Amino acid sequence: MTFQAEIDVPLLDVRDLRTEFGTDSGTVTAVDGVSFTVHAGERVAIVGESGSGKSAMAMSILRLLAYPGRVAGGTVLLNGRDLCALSERQLNAVRGREVGTVFQDPMSSLDPVMRISKQMIPPIMRSVGLGREKARAEAIHWLDKVGIPDAERRLEAFPFEMSGGMRQRVMIAMALSCRPKLLIADEPTTALDVTIQAQIVDVMKTLISETGTAMMFITHDLGLVARFADKVAVMYAGRIVEFGTVHDIFHKPSHPYTQSLLSTIPSTTALRHQRLPQIPGMPPDMKNPPKGCAFRDRCAAAIQTCAQDAPRLTPRGAGHVAACWQPDGLAGVPRPECSGQVRRNTNRPLRDRTMVEINRLTKQFTGSGTRLFSRKPAQVVKAVNGVTLRVQQGETLGIVGESGCGKSTVARLLLGLEEPTSGEIFIDGLAQMVFQDPSSSFNPKMRIHAIIEEPLIVKRWGDRQARAERVRSLIDQVGLEVAHLDRYPNQLSGGQRQRVAVARALALDPSVVVADEPTSALDVSVRAQVINLLADLKEDLGIAFIFISHDLLTVRYIADRIAVMYLGEVVEYGPADEVFDRPAHPYTKALIDAVPLPDPVTEAARAPIQLKGELPSPLDIPKGCAFASRCPIVTDRCRIEKPVLRQPMKTREAACHYAK
Amino acid sequence: MVEYSLKKFAQLLFTVFGVVTLVFFTLRFIPGDAASAMAGDAISGEALELLREQMGLNAPLLSQYLIYIKGLVTFDFGVTITTRLPVADLLLRALPVTLSIAVLTIVLTVALSIPLGTLAALMAHRGQNGLDNLITGTAMVLDLMPSFWTALVFLLIFSLTLGWFPASGTVSFDAPMDFLKRIALPVLVLSVTQMATMARITRTAVLEVLSEDYVRTARAMGWSEMRVLFRHALKNASLPIVTVIGLSFGNLLNGTVIVEFIFTIPGIGNLLINGINSRDYQMVQTLIVFYALLFVGINFITDIVYRALDPRVKF
Repeated sequence: MTFQAEIDVPLLDVRDLRTEFGTDSGTVTAVDGVSFTVHAGERVAIVGESGSGKSAMAMSILRLLAYPGRVAGGTVLLNGRDLCALSERQLNAVRGREVGTVFQDPMSSLDPVMRISKQMIPPIMRSVGLGREKARAEAIHWLDKVGIPDAERRLEAFPFEMSGGMRQRVMIAMALSCRPKLLIADEPTTALDVTIQAQIVDVMKTLISETGTAMMFITHDLGLVARFADKVAVMYAGRIVEFGTVHDIFHKPSHPYTQSLLSTIPSTTALRHQRLPQIPGMPPDMKNPPKGCAFRDRCAAAIQTCAQDAPRLTPRGAGHVAACWQPDGLAGVPRPECSGQVRRNTNRPLRDRTMVEINRLTKQFTGSGTRLFSRKPAQVVKAVNGVTLRVQQGETLGIVGESGCGKSTVARLLLGLEEPTSGEIFIDGLAQMVFQDPSSSFNPKMRIHAIIEEPLIVKRWGDRQARAERVRSLIDQVGLEVAHLDRYPNQLSGGQRQRVAVARALALDPSVVVADEPTSALDVSVRAQVINLLADLKEDLGIAFIFISHDLLTVRYIADRIAVMYLGEVVEYGPADEVFDRPAHPYTKALIDAVPLPDPVTEAARAPIQLKGELPSPLDIPKGCAFASRCPIVTDRCRIEKPVLRQPMKTREAACHYAK
Repeated sequence: MVEYSLKKFAQLLFTVFGVVTLVFFTLRFIPGDAASAMAGDAISGEALELLREQMGLNAPLLSQYLIYIKGLVTFDFGVTITTRLPVADLLLRALPVTLSIAVLTIVLTVALSIPLGTLAALMAHRGQNGLDNLITGTAMVLDLMPSFWTALVFLLIFSLTLGWFPASGTVSFDAPMDFLKRIALPVLVLSVTQMATMARITRTAVLEVLSEDYVRTARAMGWSEMRVLFRHALKNASLPIVTVIGLSFGNLLNGTVIVEFIFTIPGIGNLLINGINSRDYQMVQTLIVFYALLFVGINFITDIVYRALDPRVKF
């Protein structure tokens, strides 16, 4: 009987939590009356875009907010005890011991000057009450459990001696070894590659179900939510707008924001050559929160009431609540963005003009090893290892691969930012680049018009008058207004800045545009806008696009052909749909399998992750097949004989002995 | 570690050799020499030439240089040109005085400025700006005061008006209390300037570390504020602080010259000033080489300590 009663009392009961940040220009309410519960052993995902208050909310639970953030109201009941009412000393007994935490960036979350043992063993001694020797054994046991090879030796390593994925494993081991009842993970896999992410998620899922730990998982990635969560809370502008089971949220979303978010993700099955539905506008500025519903400006279903009163969470089904005046959200409202406007034409023949030709390209970086008093041989990093690629006019080539596979180096070589070690690059016309992070690739002291005009001035294009006209037509082309031209980069949103980056790249009428992770720094709701823009421009201008990304769903959506890179080599090359639907190379298959899909049913039916281990060091490339060390179908032949890129299918090239 | 130290040490020998050579030749470029300085206006012409001959100043420059190098290598620093006393003796007598001042200053500076800087950083991190502004503001004002001026002000207040510390008198290790009283004011004057710099550097370093992710991790593990501060924040912040302590030791050697002169302390600073005034080449050369060695030695130690603290620095 008591057992039943215990299950009914939630482990974590957050009620009306409010978090404020005092800034020079007034108080920002980052978390505005959030309430939800987490039961023992449950996995709850908190989803939201940057600025939605999801991290601030999670940090508020343990009062880990940095100044000027502070918890302004509400209660956080952990097993019935209000954490907000505890003193700092009392709370320290809860932190780590009852509630464990895993943070986003594994590179900076471990103390750089302390061995792992010093960071791991004392918390175990304190929380579990073990002696030093036993705690040490326990630490090794946990490192082993999270999949760190040679755990006993690694315990004495420093964080800088480990990769990001390994460090995140250490963080998880550190948190779980103290046997918390609840684990808070704040974007634990965002900084990692998709293959490593899949491994980490797998490890976490297995371990917390073994230990019965409940978990609060903060993320912006709906695919991960589908893979991981039992329940989902969707946050927008500091509030939870919808809460329900993972099936409710993905199959019966009821809030317009949830519905729009789900529709903006490029899907693998739906009409690929249709424009992505996009959410217009951008999230509200939390310094001046709008009256009424915060989403109404971007909502097609908005009515009069939305402008006056913010809706409260109301039941939509058993355990399913949403905050919207419309009972079914967008359902029943015509959606202009989604239907019609199919601008992409699949039957258009690719023009037969090769715009980019890369032949047997290699690039090696030589480390600094030869100095006075040093006789160590210089280290050679083989970043690009004999890449041959072609891009036709009007074609988009997607280059995918894990970080360190050499995809960005190829981009830099194409732009002439690096000298190739050997090989040839031919470009018909001019190549221009769109970078990943628009906030750091612009001079913050230059106005937008000057930023776009800069390449024109460099190339002595036209006179002042002509340039001004050109800039205006460019800003129009990327869907911004002339009024934006007088602003500074920091006065634009991320999506708008990326549009400016595109405008600048287009200024000189390039024949090739190289985009290196152009949507990675953008929020989900804005990402679709930029993808649509790029797709339109490609269509209208007939330029060749090279789209480099680790986001496989986006690449699949936008690219005609795909080159999969591994350790500086192209291992598979072919038409996008074919590569995705019937991957020929085991690495391609592993990459695709690692991508979490925004559908809990598909995710539940998935085979366990096949790809083990991490990318080998480019300093020490395996002799035979570069992928041999991680390949699920590896044979002795692979370890000796290096497979060359051949054509096992009519339209496809793959570098594998066993590709059929 | 050992290998690294040896390499570094070999490199430093080159530096020292450069200083040794530079000192020799620059001294010779200063107009006037020991003979004319000694003679003053009284002697001139042949008598002066004779004096020069006696003092060995007429030998070719190169041979003077070689004799000087040979002396250094064999630890034979010779006698002063003017007073004919062994340079080594003078140096050994003056050195403990100057070192006492320098070491006490560093100890006082570190003992006060690191806690103050850390406190200021902690306050700033929590957004309690009052105390932080007070500490940072005071440090800035103190930093701007030149040490010769501070010295005169302290002399006026603590010696002449309040009479707490003697302004002059013998300096001897035989009476430790008197000795401490005598060097108290120089130490205070030097500390003030050093402290200002070091407190500000400490504040910046600690403040930066406090907002690092790993500090948040430590807090999330439930460690107390004190443990987070000492085990994680200060350990990481100590890297830039160690560098600054090393650098400030150099500044301090400069400072001792000035305060020893003002407070008439018979340290090596005073020896140096007297030596320069009387163009005593032998004296000045030896002292400057000695200063250079100190400087280089301290840099060497700083480097080693830095590398011992930070495992990321490769040997």
